[in-house]
Order: sequence, then C-alpha cells, then structure tokens
Amino acid sequence: MKCEQIGELLPDYLQGNLDEEQNEIVELHTAQCADCRDEVTIWKKLGLLPVEQPSAASRARFEAMLHAYQTGRSDRVSARFGRAGRAAGSNFWQWLRTPVGVVAWSAALLVIGIFAGNYFGDRPTHPIANQDEIAAMHTELTNMRQLVVLSMLQQQSASERLQGVSWSQREAHLDPQVMGALLHTLRFDGSVDVRLAALDALSRHAGQPQVHKGVLDALQEQQSPLVQVALIDLLTEWRDPDAAQRLRNFEQTPNLNPTVKQRAEWAVSKLN
Amino acid sequence: MKEQERTDAENDQAMKLAPDEDLMLEVRNGAGETLGVLFDRYHTPLYNFYSKLTGDRTLSEDLVQEVFLRILKYRQSYQPGTPFRAWIYQIARNARVDHYRKTPKHITFEPEMAPAVMPKDSAQHSEEAELLHRALMQMPEEKREILILSRFQELRYDEIARLLGCELGTVKTRIHRAIQELRQTFRQLESGMINKDKNSGVTKFVPPRRAGNEV
Repeated sequence: MKCEQIGELLPDYLQGNLDEEQNEIVELHTAQCADCRDEVTIWKKLGLLPVEQPSAASRARFEAMLHAYQTGRSDRVSARFGRAGRAAGSNFWQWLRTPVGVVAWSAALLVIGIFAGNYFGDRPTHPIANQDEIAAMHTELTNMRQLVVLSMLQQQSASERLQGVSWSQREAHLDPQVMGALLHTLRFDGSVDVRLAALDALSRHAGQPQVHKGVLDALQEQQSPLVQVALIDLLTEWRDPDAAQRLRNFEQTPNLNPTVKQRAEWAVSKLN
Repeated sequence: MKEQERTDAENDQAMKLAPDEDLMLEVRNGAGETLGVLFDRYHTPLYNFYSKLTGDRTLSEDLVQEVFLRILKYRQSYQPGTPFRAWIYQIARNARVDHYRKTPKHITFEPEMAPAVMPKDSAQHSEEAELLHRALMQMPEEKREILILSRFQELRYDEIARLLGCELGTVKTRIHRAIQELRQTFRQLESGMINKDKNSGVTKFVPPRRAGNEV
C-alpha cells in the first residue's frame, strides 16, 4: 500500500479506531516505511509534553467569582419570577404590555399611519418626500428603541433590566441619555449580572470620554469582586492614561479581596 | 422550597460521580455551587488546551476563568441532551476568539512563552519535549489546535468535527497533515540543535522566553 492510503488510515490507527485487519496493514507498512513510521513516533512523542497544572490561585479566583455571582443574584427570585412571567406571557396580550411589545405595536401603528397618510392624503407622493418620510420614520424608531431601553433599565426584575442592557447594544451610536442610564446601572444596579452586562455594553464605546470617566469612578464604588475584576480588565485593555494612578490608589483600599488586589497589581504592572 | 436543602454529605458523594450533563442541568436550574464540581473536572484540561495553544500561562488562566463565567452567564442556553464536553469546548474556543478580537495577537503574545516544566533527571526526554514544544508553537494555529484537541484533550474525531463544524473526513485529513508538518519542523529543529551543540552550548539559551517579561 502507498503512503497516501496509509495516511488516510493513520489518524484512526493513532486513536485505536481500526479493526484488526486494518491495524495490521498500517503496522506492516510502517515497519518498512521510515517516513510513516516517524509520523507515528512523533504522535507518541507528544506524550512527553507534561500536563501542566494551573496555579493554586486559579481555584480561589473561581471561588471568588462564584461567590460574587451568587451574592449578586440574591435578587434571583425576582429574576426567576420575571422569567416565569415571560414564559406564561406567550399570551399575546400580555406580551403587548411588555416594553418590547410596546415598541413593536407603536412601530406597527407608525408604519400603518404613514402608509394610510400616503394612501388617503391628496398630496402627490414624491420620491424625495418618501425618502424623507422613511428617514423620519427611522429616527422615530431609533428614539422609540432608546425609550424602551430607558424604561427597561428601570424594571423591577433583573432579567428585564438585563434585556434592557442588551437592547442598548442594537444601536451603533449611543444616545447620551442611554449612556447615562447604562453608567448609572453600572454603578448602582443591585444585580451583579446586570452590572456586568452594562459594563460589557459600555466597553464598546471606549471612544467616549464620559464612558472612561464612568468606568474609572465605578471602580471606587464597586463591592463585588467580580465586577471589580471586570473593571480592572477593561481599564487595562483600554490602556487608559489615568488608570494606573487610580488603580494604585484602589489597591490600598482596606479589606480588598485578595484576588482583586492581585489583579490590580497585575494591571498596574501592565500599564506601566 | 430551596433545592439546596437536599445537599448533604450523601448527595455530595453522588454529585462527585454524576455525569457532567446532570451537573450542568443543576447549574442551569440555579444550583451555582454545583459548578465547582465541573470546575474540578475541567479546569486542568482547559488550562492545558489554552497553554499549549497560546504558550501563555497568564492568558490561559484568564481564559479558563472566562469560560466558567460564561457558563454561569449563559447557563440558560444549555440544552438538555447536549454533551457537556462538546459544549464547554465550544465556549472555550469562542472565549479565545473573542479575546483575540479585542486584543490583537501581537500585543498579547509577548508574555511567558515559558517551556513546560520538565523533570530535570531525564535530560534527553526533556530536551525532546522542549523541541516538540517549540515545533508545536511554530505551527499555524489551526493545525496546532486540531493536534491539541485530538492528542491532549482526547476528543474523538467526530467530536472535533462537530466542534469545528466540518466533516469527519476533513478532520482526519487535517490531523494527518498537522502530524506531517509537526514531524518536519521537529526534525529540522533537532538537526539544528545537534549542529549548535557541536559548536557551543547555545542550546541553553534556546527557550523562547524573553528576559524580564514575566507579567
């Protein structure tokens, strides 16, 4: 048999998937062909590379993350309730009352209105006028979406607020009001999940000075190690010029979680 | 009505033996602490997946944490019946891709390309392992990844095919090509090493670790 054909069998040979007959074919060939034999050797030699052990801090970091996550989810009951509500809300009318439903039917009404206006109105439909209308409609929709985001961020249940944050990411451009709301959420929301999601959403707008300032400020106020670590990581990623100094101050915070402290030290060394 | 009340010592023991999928379903249903058992099972394999792929230990540890954070965040998206191993490796690959999207490689790639820790007594073995490590790191990333998945993570080819979204046959072909390339690079490095050995003790400085770069 040629090396090419053996090559097709080789991967299965190496993982022991071949039947006895095929196995023998490969072994006969490799006994004679130095190149193919060497391929088998290399595969076996890979076993020389040891299994590396992650540092002991890894487990501690995980524990801290889990703990922070669960503490942040003390409002889990309300979040779950929200979720259950949504499942039952497959009921159409109930859905119409949710913020998403509101925007959907408002948009539908708007479209109907414009077409009705065009249809019944006596003014001649001019292509340019039409384009203007579409642009206006677009702005209208954008504004409406922003309204939805703002209203969702005020909701009682964490899962709705989470949804609000994810809605905010649909617009490439961040409206100042929405940005303000996200920054507020990042600082004051009761749920770690929601704060993390807000940070995620804000991280896409690194170009905005307000966002930088908000993230820096949030660092001092956060109590959850999980959010603290996420903030530190983001500041490091941005290579924010003010970050190194702030982080150095932050490291001095009394009773700082050791994992967070370690992360901050790492960040400072990275930023310098 | 809390589920947690059930967890006594007996249940603890049962949990340690339970299949990954059952544990993940518990996590999905809100028992976050069960994730600890999955962490114990997977953090070393995942760490090795990343460290062999990137050669960067700090980054590897960060990515492992990211994987478990994502599991918590997206636990609702875990569908009963999905093999957990496939699911977690999918998350692991995505986490890495997202990381590189955010931080282009040339920035993150500088830290510790530390060679694996080797027992000092088996000098020849450690030299070979060192060369293999370097040969592996010289390969294009997709080839390195497929080798790592099949050789070190011990994923079956059909699992890899599903993970990479390609045909089973393609996986086998790719693995074979990757082995061929690794072999060539390894043998080249080896002959280079022998030549250098004859001239001087240069080999001591070969590890691609950059001085003063420990972060």
